[in-house]
Amino acid sequence: MKKMTLGAILALGLFSGTALAQSAWTGGDDLPTSPLACDGTPAAAVSVPYDGGAPTNPPDRNGKKITVVDVPKLIGIGYFNATTKGILDAAAELGNVDAKTDGPTKANIDEQITFLDNYITSGVDGILFAANDPVAIAPVLKKALEKGINVVGYDANSTPDARQWFVNQAQFNGIAKALVDQMATEVGGEGGVAIVTSTFTTPNQARWIAEMAAYAAACHPKLKWLETVEAQEDNNLSFNQATTLINKYGDELKGIWGMTSVATPASAEAVTQAKACGKIAVVGLATPNAMKPYVGADCVKSVVLWNPVDLGYAAMHVLRQVADGTLKPGATSVKAGKLGELQVINGSEILLGAPYVFNKDNINDFDF
Amino acid sequence: MTATKLLRHETILAVLTVIALAVLASLSDKFFTVENLLNQGRLMSEVGLVALAMTFVIVTGGIDLSVGSILGLTAILLGVFWKNLGLPLPLAMLAAIACGTFAGWVNGFIITRFRVPPLIATLATLALYRGLAEGISEARSVRGYPEWFFFFGQGEVLGVPFQLWLLGLATVIAAVILGLTPFGRATYAIGANETAARFSGIRVNATKLWIYTAAGFLSALAAVVFVSRVTTTRSDMGTGLELDVITGVVLGGTSIFGGRGTIIGTVLGLILIQALKNGLSLSGVKGDGTIVVIGLVLIGAILAGALFDRNRGG
Repeated sequence: MKKMTLGAILALGLFSGTALAQSAWTGGDDLPTSPLACDGTPAAAVSVPYDGGAPTNPPDRNGKKITVVDVPKLIGIGYFNATTKGILDAAAELGNVDAKTDGPTKANIDEQITFLDNYITSGVDGILFAANDPVAIAPVLKKALEKGINVVGYDANSTPDARQWFVNQAQFNGIAKALVDQMATEVGGEGGVAIVTSTFTTPNQARWIAEMAAYAAACHPKLKWLETVEAQEDNNLSFNQATTLINKYGDELKGIWGMTSVATPASAEAVTQAKACGKIAVVGLATPNAMKPYVGADCVKSVVLWNPVDLGYAAMHVLRQVADGTLKPGATSVKAGKLGELQVINGSEILLGAPYVFNKDNINDFDF
Repeated sequence: MTATKLLRHETILAVLTVIALAVLASLSDKFFTVENLLNQGRLMSEVGLVALAMTFVIVTGGIDLSVGSILGLTAILLGVFWKNLGLPLPLAMLAAIACGTFAGWVNGFIITRFRVPPLIATLATLALYRGLAEGISEARSVRGYPEWFFFFGQGEVLGVPFQLWLLGLATVIAAVILGLTPFGRATYAIGANETAARFSGIRVNATKLWIYTAAGFLSALAAVVFVSRVTTTRSDMGTGLELDVITGVVLGGTSIFGGRGTIIGTVLGLILIQALKNGLSLSGVKGDGTIVVIGLVLIGAILAGALFDRNRGG
């Protein structure tokens, strides 16, 4: 009996082990990829009909004061503090929006759903969200639409029919190209590289990794992907995972991509503490403040991101125009205050702009 | 361990719950509506189902930290059985629940046969089951369930959410078993003094094995409801569930040292926590403030309980 149980446990363990070993570029999703051209020639724009949802019998909110709640993936981290700042800036500028941010303290979809559900009951006019899971969040967002609430996403999308518009901070293939190009430049075009991500099913990260795999295969085939590790969005765990990568692969490891604003500084810290600056490149998505020490010490050369303050700012402007009824399905561009005209892509998404690369020369101009 | 003392903790808790409900209702007019209360019932069903089994576990002086991982593993298996192995969905549901129940049985087996303390055993399986869930799913989520499947998590029967009926039925069964049957008395006896129970001819190991298996079963059942409610399967589902469950059970007056606790107490504990989370949110308190209040209420309730014990003892 004992032997049987132990045998069963071992067999299960081996099964999951082999399952993990088989997949290449773990952490990507199954969706089709569209890598950009290696030299950056822009792809032709394709017109897609509006595929977002619509609220049921919303009251006339044109020009009226509205209450808006912003429920990001989690609260208390630099990145979402920055989007909140953008949302509040825009709300102050508009003058007829009462906005606040609330959400779980961990990137947990169960808790995020509960937060949204409570705010729907409390009767807000508009919801801004950044989804922890695109499908799991859909039922509660659809419920909001059914109650006539305007719903706009930013940062991390839901299924399109569960919200009206989504403000896309950067196209996935654009970010992927920037990340892979920077890495290729820093490691000299070849060598082993690894990824520290949040979780394998987080929509943004999964999409980027899939696009990075496709772009690297086409444009930098000598980059050898070693492993993707999960680190939630947890500082300590990210540091430990990056340290494990450094110890596990030794000289084979030439670079680490950090896929979250937590994983990138933690990986840079791990490389610094391993005294491997210059030997192991760190390229990733992060907020400038967290990266200033490492960029200043020449351990990290480039940080890729968009401006999250602008992202929150744009999302708030989009929500206001949806509530006013001035942004309708079929629009091709949106005016977003100081950001000017933003382009509509993929039917119901609004593109913030091209990714931004922070380096030693410009990073001190930013404070978020 | 007298009936009056048991009653007393629950009376305090019931009074506390009523006060909380009244205060919350006065803070927000959206709180005490039928729609909101039913919706809150829907949201607390998964934690509630698992908490019923956890009450038994803690009454025996044990603990089960792996329930959240069993929920995650069952959810993943449901998706894998249906999508990857191509089983019909009803069969996949049964098979996944069977696997979750087996996972609970393995907990019980390790604890009773190898005399491993439940804290250690289930801490190990907490990691093991979560790892299996991540490995088996290859970190992919399973989506695209048929419309009828959403009934379990989103449907209503006579205007009341389906899972609330399920929770109500399970609560009655659990309360009867714990309060009125020899099995229930054996559960208390084990928690009060395991050695004495053993010498009194109570089948300690068999009882514990049943209880941990039941914890696996109810976690698996909660997993199906959960997948149906959120329409997708992820390997990180149920992370941290064990803490919510244990909080509810302990707030309900079940002693972490075993031998004391009731189902009605657990239900009151769950209602109080859910009401606080929801009511405070509706009255404009932010999420971080709500957690602080729940922590304070938990400490307050336990201190009050301890105070009563001391008064009665001295």
